[in-house]
Amino acid sequence: MGSLWRQVAAVTSINLRSISQRRWLSLSTVIAIALVVVVLLAFLAMANGFQRTIAGAGADDIAIVLRAGSQAEINSTVSRDQVRLIEDGPGIARGPDGKPLISPELYLVVDGVKRSTKTKANLPLRGIGEQGANLRKGIAITEGRMFGGGANEIVVGKSLLREFEGLDLGSTVSFGTTRWTVVGVFDAGGSVFESEIWADLPVVQSLFNRNNIFQTVRVRLTGPAALNELKSYSDNDPRLKLDVKSEATYFAEQASQTSDLIQKLGWPLAIAMAFGALAGALNTMYSSVAARATEIATLRAIGFGGFPAFVGTLVESLLLAAIGGLLGAAATYLIFDGITASTLGGNFTQVVFDFKLSPALIAEGVLLALLVGLIGGLFPAIRAARLPIVSGLYAN
Amino acid sequence: MNDFDLVRKNLFRRKLRAILMIVSILVAFMIFGVLAGFYRAFNAGEDRAAADRMMVVNKINFTQPLPIAYYNRVRAVEGVRQVTHANWFGGYYQDPKNIIISLAIEPASYFDIYRSEVDLAPEALQAFVRDRGSAVIGESLAAKHGWKVGDRVPLQSNIFSQKSGGHTWDFTIAGIVKGKAEHVDTNFLLFQYNYFDETRSFGKDTIGWLILQTTAPENNDRVAKTIDAMFANSSAETSTDTEKAFGKAFAAQFGNIALIVTLVVGAAFVTILMIVGNTMALSIRERTREIGVLKTLGFSGPRILGMVLGESILLALLGGLPGLAAAALIAIALRNSLANVAPAFSVSSEIVLQGIGLMLALGLITGLIPAVNAMRLKIAAALGRG
Repeated sequence: MGSLWRQVAAVTSINLRSISQRRWLSLSTVIAIALVVVVLLAFLAMANGFQRTIAGAGADDIAIVLRAGSQAEINSTVSRDQVRLIEDGPGIARGPDGKPLISPELYLVVDGVKRSTKTKANLPLRGIGEQGANLRKGIAITEGRMFGGGANEIVVGKSLLREFEGLDLGSTVSFGTTRWTVVGVFDAGGSVFESEIWADLPVVQSLFNRNNIFQTVRVRLTGPAALNELKSYSDNDPRLKLDVKSEATYFAEQASQTSDLIQKLGWPLAIAMAFGALAGALNTMYSSVAARATEIATLRAIGFGGFPAFVGTLVESLLLAAIGGLLGAAATYLIFDGITASTLGGNFTQVVFDFKLSPALIAEGVLLALLVGLIGGLFPAIRAARLPIVSGLYAN
Repeated sequence: MNDFDLVRKNLFRRKLRAILMIVSILVAFMIFGVLAGFYRAFNAGEDRAAADRMMVVNKINFTQPLPIAYYNRVRAVEGVRQVTHANWFGGYYQDPKNIIISLAIEPASYFDIYRSEVDLAPEALQAFVRDRGSAVIGESLAAKHGWKVGDRVPLQSNIFSQKSGGHTWDFTIAGIVKGKAEHVDTNFLLFQYNYFDETRSFGKDTIGWLILQTTAPENNDRVAKTIDAMFANSSAETSTDTEKAFGKAFAAQFGNIALIVTLVVGAAFVTILMIVGNTMALSIRERTREIGVLKTLGFSGPRILGMVLGESILLALLGGLPGLAAAALIAIALRNSLANVAPAFSVSSEIVLQGIGLMLALGLITGLIPAVNAMRLKIAAALGRG
């Protein structure tokens, strides 16, 4: 047995040292596989970044109340009477003053101008109640201050500020005939809230002619388990019949549509390209076997088995694929990781997100590369193992 | 045996290698065909929008409403031939995920403005106007759900509710709207604004946007300025732009699709270029002696150059043409599921021509260096080698 492994090691090392003789062909295979991995990982990093931005915003102990069937905040409407009924509902946490911790909100779409393309894009303007900021995790004003009650003042999310122009601290913005002053910038740990503009609810209601109209209600629950209490309270009151969801569930639903779509584009493209690269890998490895036909036949003639020739070829192919895969992952990391993009989200407004690679995604990319290397090496390796000795010796 | 036979035989002397190259090129052109077709369909609305059609939307954002009174005021503006209005309904059928593009419209002016794109039989239009609770649907929507004239369709709205409570409106199908050209998307439902405005619980007397046709495209700028000035400083200021510019800005909101398409197609082509280029070089090197023999027989340098280039171009065409055919099949298969995003998704003749141009370029680039080397080869050196 020991001698077999020594043979395998010897043949493999001959294989690997001969790569330099086919450097251009081998290099083209490595780069081809690397490009496949770059395309796949760029799409997966985009889907992952989008998913993290949205799904990362949701908490389990916050409930969001929407009109039944509305799916997204932008479509929902909730009346003042319904807001009052929810305030009295069960399972709602109360502040030190005994008031329920809830925030009725209005979600409007306004135009902004994208810095990169100078084109108009939909931005969300959210009128929030007094408790609005406290009902979201990790909100911190990083510059300026919070908007004052009853004033035409807005605070702007950090990501939004980065991607859209005219919203800098201290500037005046007009939405239609109404004028607003940017008094603060807030951080929300990179979540979707950072793509929003916030203002005082009654001011937004009155300036946008939506007095007494609300779209959603956010509620702090006494605990995640209280969600069902609130749900059945809403289901059993014919005046309510609203959708009550945990914020985590709501955002997970919102994220899945777009990130699924991105993944559904990325995988078929990468697989199609992988077939192209596979043809290249097979070609390289068949050339490798053909170039070493005399050598392999000589080794067989002096007593080496077919198995070492098989392993040697396969290892060469897997090594080229692994280099390609890692090169692709490294290139994706350098080029795409952390770049900012924005697209229309489930609420019909721009969501600003970063491309985000993760170790699991890199593993998927390298695995695809190794699969190409495995298939691309397998058939040539079988040929190497079965090479007839006599004709091999006369190959040249 | 003529030169072409020789080229063909040379290409397939190593069958497996030739087939692998063909597969590799096929994949690249399949990706090119599908992405170029998708990109064109995605931007179709923008490219084909009538030059004299404009949109009037709320200046704050196009999702904000406008007063219905604007309809008559815009109608009176000089240079406006026709105006109509529409309101997004947010309709879905049975399941909220099953979204139906549905608009509340004013029938006579709507079908007049879009007469070059859609066709509704005059009897059907009359029946639609007569029955306030009726709707007309596009032929692709009709085909999707198997709906026909006379059917009752309950449509729910994810935005509006009825005054009587509930979110469901029942419509009787009064007619089927046909597209006048293949690129026209007919995946929609239209119903009467008057009925909608009477039955909804909020938003009375508002509309989503106005669509107008100018008397001539030269008047577009003047009409837009007049309309926007007319409503300046009112509670609902407007923004008027051509349908084309509006479509372009909306498409841009999804992100830079053009850049993504270019990068992916570029990556696929670089991959193939390297693989095929190296293989061609290898295959010509292997034939050095033969080329020497051909030269001895009196084949001129340029003739050898032509034969090698012919081989690489033949390879590119053998892979590229089936690749475009595969792309066309994929486009047909995906057409219905992508109808909302990219209507009339197909590999057009323009894309096929571009593709053939790319195939020739690929053949020339991959074959050029080996061909020039082969042309310059000295007989003595060639025969002495290998």
